Amino acid sequence: MSTLVLAGVSRWYGNVVAVNDVSFEVGPGITGLLGPNGAGKTTLLHMMAGFLAPSAGEVHLDGRPTWRHPDIYRSIGFVPEREAVYGFLSGRQFVAASASLQGVPDPAEAAERAIDLVELQPAADRAIGGYSKGMRQRAKVAAALVHDPPVLILDEPFNGMDPRQRLHMMDLLRRHAAEGRTILFSSHILEEVERLSDRVLVVVAGRLAASGDFRRIRRLMTDRPHRFTLRSSDDRRLARELLAEAEIDAVELRDGFLTVRTGDYGALTRAVAPAAQRAGVSLLELHPADESLESVFSYLVRR
Amino acid sequence: MTSTLVSLTLRALLNRRRTLLLALVGVLLVLATLLYRLGGPSDGDALNVTRRLLGDFGLGVLLPLVAVIVGTASLGSELDDGTIVYLLAKPIPRWRIVLVKLAVAWLVVMVLVVPAIALAGLIAHPNANLATGYSLAAMVGALEYTAVFLALSLVTSRALVIGLAYVVVWEGVVAALFAGTRVLSIRQHALAVADALGGGDAAQAELGVGVALAVGIVVALLAAALAIRRLERVELRGETA
Repeated sequence: MSTLVLAGVSRWYGNVVAVNDVSFEVGPGITGLLGPNGAGKTTLLHMMAGFLAPSAGEVHLDGRPTWRHPDIYRSIGFVPEREAVYGFLSGRQFVAASASLQGVPDPAEAAERAIDLVELQPAADRAIGGYSKGMRQRAKVAAALVHDPPVLILDEPFNGMDPRQRLHMMDLLRRHAAEGRTILFSSHILEEVERLSDRVLVVVAGRLAASGDFRRIRRLMTDRPHRFTLRSSDDRRLARELLAEAEIDAVELRDGFLTVRTGDYGALTRAVAPAAQRAGVSLLELHPADESLESVFSYLVRR
Repeated sequence: MTSTLVSLTLRALLNRRRTLLLALVGVLLVLATLLYRLGGPSDGDALNVTRRLLGDFGLGVLLPLVAVIVGTASLGSELDDGTIVYLLAKPIPRWRIVLVKLAVAWLVVMVLVVPAIALAGLIAHPNANLATGYSLAAMVGALEYTAVFLALSLVTSRALVIGLAYVVVWEGVVAALFAGTRVLSIRQHALAVADALGGGDAAQAELGVGVALAVGIVVALLAAALAIRRLERVELRGETA
């Protein structure tokens, strides 16, 4: 059982702040680090894995600082986001080299076990240089698991995987977590985090925007005000009809569009078509105005 | 653990076409020497031409060229493409990574340089001491060059360019014009060794062998220490950062 602790961690590059005063603890189980691209996820993970020095604050693994303590890698498996691998090695050689550099007693045997785990056996003797993105990703995971570390840190592990590989990898991580390991992975995709993690950390613009149980965060995300943009044959009539619905909080007519605000995403989508029918107008367009992940995140930050 | 590090480094270096092309420069030295011998030269200028071939071409071009390319690549190529993360994420003391990389790079440089110099020396001149002297000088010079260029690759991402500039500008131009700067020229260190071992026939160096070796050893040790210090503190940013 291992615990990673971040206390008041910041990191800046010159005058750009990448991570801003972040504190949290990661214990056994699966924790998802969710955030849009450029939010500072990789910077955070690299500090946790001891590849970057925090500009302020401290990162500890079981009481030891991770920066400049190579011994911690006996307890950490790290899967980088970067694709670069030793392209001239076969998958088997790459994983076995990792085992040997880790000081595992029987590297060849450990490599076989790890390759079995990620189901890379059929491709294990081909050069990694010719692997698909998903296969490369699995080779990297096998190399990170080969010394059976209590902590596994994965940076965007599902990138480039097809749906079947993704399911298999999720299953693998779940099994490892069930054995009491501490697993932390980053993703910019809500669904991945939702399906896999017990606990979520949301990072936006270098700050920890929310953390905790996924259902709570999901609720925060869905209960926020939603805005839709509509166009119809008669916006004003439709607006009047919509305003009669209890779930509609506001309507606005501007620039030839009708903008509607609601606290209940589902209710609005159900109410629009009947309202148009009652008003006798035809609906031409309906789309959510701010459903990008970024806007969800920025909403969380503003709270 | 160490053997894996050695074989990874060797394979990475030998997989580069650049490294193999370097072997051709050595072949060029041997071919030039052969051509010269086939011309049936007089004994009078044989010594002079041999010095030019082994000293100017062998120690002055072949050795630094091979050393700058191999030395900066042995750790630098992994830093450039990001595969260094797979070494850094291991519980290996950083000094060991640096020393193993240095040893392997030194070995590769010697394999690419020393046989060519030895062969050219034996072909060019009947005094075998010359071949021995220049070969051993190349081995000593190879270590010093490799240590400096490896350290350079941890200090800057433009190590190859800066290394070449050092060889061409400092050793080629500045050291030729200003005698005082020769004490910091690795080529002069190597030539001093060749002189000492060449039985008086080499006679190209401007430095005493004692000074050359002392400075050379200090430079190599400082370079290795700097490389270790840098690797202990190297920071890996994300791709976008």
